[in-house]
Amino acid sequence: MTAARLTATVETSGRSTPRAWGYLRRNPSFWIGFIGVVLIVGSAIFAPLIAPHDPNLQFRGEGLTKSGDPLGPTAKFPLGTDKLGRDELSRLLYGARTSLTVGIVANSLAVFIGVLVGTTAAYFRGRPAKLRAFGRGPALSVPVEPILMRTTDAFLAFPALLVAIALVAIVGPSLGLVIVVIAAILWTATCRIMYSTSLVVLASDFVLAATAIGVSDRRMIVRHLLPHLVPLIAVYATLGIATTVLFEATLSFLGVGVPAPAASWGGMIIEHVGYYRTDPRVVALPGLAIMATILAFNLLGDALADALDPRKWR
Amino acid sequence: MRSSLGSLRTAAIGVVVALVAAACQAQNAPPSSEASAAASVPAATSDAASSAPSASAAAQPSGLPQGGTLSIGWNGEIQWLDPALAYDVTSWPAERLMFEPLLAYDQGTTLVPLLADGMPTVSADGKTYTFKLHSGVNFVNEDGTVLRPMTADDVAYSINRVLNPKLKPNPSPVASGFFGNIVGAADVLSGKATTATGIKVVDPTTVEFTLEKADETFLNVMATPFASIVPKEAAGDDATAFSAKPMGTGPYLFKSYTKGQGATFVKNPSYWQPGLAPLDTIDYRTGQDDIGMLQQIQAGTLDLMGDPMPPAQFTDITTNPDLANQIVHHTLVNVDYVFMDTQQPNNGPFSNVKVRQAVNYAIDKDAILQITHGAGVPANCIYPPDLSSFDSSCNPYPHDVAKAKQLMQDAGFGSGFETKFYTDTTDPDPQIGASIQQDLAAIGIKTNIVSQEFATFLDTIETPHAAPIGWVGWFQDYPDPSDFIDPILSCASAVKGGANAALYCNKAIDTEAAAAKGEQDPAKRKAAYQDIQTKIMADAPWAPFRTQEWYTLIGKNVGGFEIHPVWQYDVRNLWKTLG
Repeated sequence: MTAARLTATVETSGRSTPRAWGYLRRNPSFWIGFIGVVLIVGSAIFAPLIAPHDPNLQFRGEGLTKSGDPLGPTAKFPLGTDKLGRDELSRLLYGARTSLTVGIVANSLAVFIGVLVGTTAAYFRGRPAKLRAFGRGPALSVPVEPILMRTTDAFLAFPALLVAIALVAIVGPSLGLVIVVIAAILWTATCRIMYSTSLVVLASDFVLAATAIGVSDRRMIVRHLLPHLVPLIAVYATLGIATTVLFEATLSFLGVGVPAPAASWGGMIIEHVGYYRTDPRVVALPGLAIMATILAFNLLGDALADALDPRKWR
Repeated sequence: MRSSLGSLRTAAIGVVVALVAAACQAQNAPPSSEASAAASVPAATSDAASSAPSASAAAQPSGLPQGGTLSIGWNGEIQWLDPALAYDVTSWPAERLMFEPLLAYDQGTTLVPLLADGMPTVSADGKTYTFKLHSGVNFVNEDGTVLRPMTADDVAYSINRVLNPKLKPNPSPVASGFFGNIVGAADVLSGKATTATGIKVVDPTTVEFTLEKADETFLNVMATPFASIVPKEAAGDDATAFSAKPMGTGPYLFKSYTKGQGATFVKNPSYWQPGLAPLDTIDYRTGQDDIGMLQQIQAGTLDLMGDPMPPAQFTDITTNPDLANQIVHHTLVNVDYVFMDTQQPNNGPFSNVKVRQAVNYAIDKDAILQITHGAGVPANCIYPPDLSSFDSSCNPYPHDVAKAKQLMQDAGFGSGFETKFYTDTTDPDPQIGASIQQDLAAIGIKTNIVSQEFATFLDTIETPHAAPIGWVGWFQDYPDPSDFIDPILSCASAVKGGANAALYCNKAIDTEAAAAKGEQDPAKRKAAYQDIQTKIMADAPWAPFRTQEWYTLIGKNVGGFEIHPVWQYDVRNLWKTLG
């Protein structure tokens, strides 16, 4: 991301909405991504209504072949069954709930932390914050920017997956923990981008003017800086979901994701990985679901990024 | 006896079927299990070179094709090549290539002499066992030259070494459990003595063991790899050093071992039973992947795999007509069971016998067998079919959901309750947990499955009250019913580190079991153990559900392969055919 592009975004973002929409409307990848996201989110929300069966119910006898293998598609099981005789379609639909819950919640958390840390660090760059204990006493000079950004670097330096696996191994797997772990790992990327963009914004004349009239630190960040970051946040919040869904699938694949029997796409793949030669369906279907979701969110995110980039409007 | 389950701790991750076994009870050995085996073994003739039949007496040495390299793959790694310490599925078959105890099994569960010259004489009170040693047995150096002949001193040394509390890096896991009954063993275990008074060298070819209490299982213990005879000058107190340069009397010699790749064993040219080490080399590959091993066997680049057939490939392989002659299967001496914390704190639901009985009625064993491709038979009680004390009429809790619900009502849990259910992570174990989860949900018990990696799982179930309910399997240490009571259902084992996951402790059963263990009349002994089984099942600490059937695929050119009821894999008896 070049400085020129960022500057342009800063200058125009306040008036960007109608023009962005005009651009989006004419972008086919926006519509593909949008429809895809609507379908996936819709099937996650309405899974209990759409799913033909209870996703965790093992159909004894009829759900497996005589020799104990998964069934192919039948009238009763439109996409067949898994190795426990559970309905594959129902598990895929409920798996969308798991993946999207993790994707949206974890990513929102990550973006929130990233924006908070990134903007604060940028704002305090080169000038330590003066903090007074309990609002009184001698001012303590705190080098906020180095502390925050070196912490970010430290997080970036960790092998993310190993940290995640270690955490889950210690605490034990649960949906909540998976969300926290993913957020704790993925916030750094957003943070770095918010930091560099903020630096550009803070170099603008209007910031100088605001400083001149004595605007408080908090007000400067919330009222003057943040609004300029909104388009970027929208883009990263969307693109980030794709990353998060994949990360959740990876954790589940490694057996440290959402605990069984809850359906999760990554978990469905690892449970059946041995079948890749004998019955590829049970591995391919959840894989396709992951792929479709990531593609939809990426198309949507890219379209948003393009639409909010003024250089594209010429 | 802190036995096999605990020992599995050292077994490679994921090797659930750990095995371990050893021995027996000559008098009422069960009929040798019909080995399914594809490869037939040449008719037994006794080896002229040795007056005693060898453990693998079935093989006629002169008739065996000689030479060649046999390869066998394993998921796990060799933990130890020191017989005092190794206690896992991957190490035992490797050890048995190099080391030999005084006794062994025939192709079934009957004890036969190996390094002993005939079976020992037993005193009338059942406490003194006198072994004559086979003559001409030599310890052999790495280079194939003879170190020196084995004597009675070596036997005494080897057993005292297993009892040695100063063995580095840790004492033998079975020291007190297997050998603690020898007179004076307690003094050695506590460090007060270096040799047990009950182990006596009578003359260079005679050794005598005296026991504290009559114990029919002692002979079985003497056939475990733990009782292998090792040379003093090579073994010593440092098991790590001996493991790196192991030396014994066996048909193969250790050449090298690299973790993650494997070990190589070569023919012992000075073996005391010439001709009984038909192979030139044994290529023991460790750290292998299941599916990869299956493909290699089909491609002819691997001869055997030490791990069970991966569930996903099961149907594909077993129904492939081209492989029909290469499939070998056998029902194991094992029982898989749901355990329940019989002493659950705060009057927890599983402390109520009615709840435990309800769980027994609730489990659909056929459903579990279906998801495991039918590889096994339903287990209704404690002893598996290959054990002498097996009772086919024992079935106190046939599948009956209505009865289970009624019992839940009677117990005051009509509206159900919620609990955690523990399993390990090895495929397909969590799926079996999921099947049981559905059965329990049907009677109002909502379970959250906790799947833990195998070593962690063992820690959990061996910590009192850490796991209220879960499932686990028990594999014999030796083919005797005492091995299904003492280590897993006695008061002594209901402690931290003990394998009694149900924390079942019934003093009356303990007394009966002690009497049954010393009983010398086979019929009375069998009846006593069956009575114990009936009484324990009435208390329902377990809901047994399956005895596993082991399926494996072997290479086209492997000769002599059968699944041994005790050893499972008896690599020392194999040969290769040409072509």
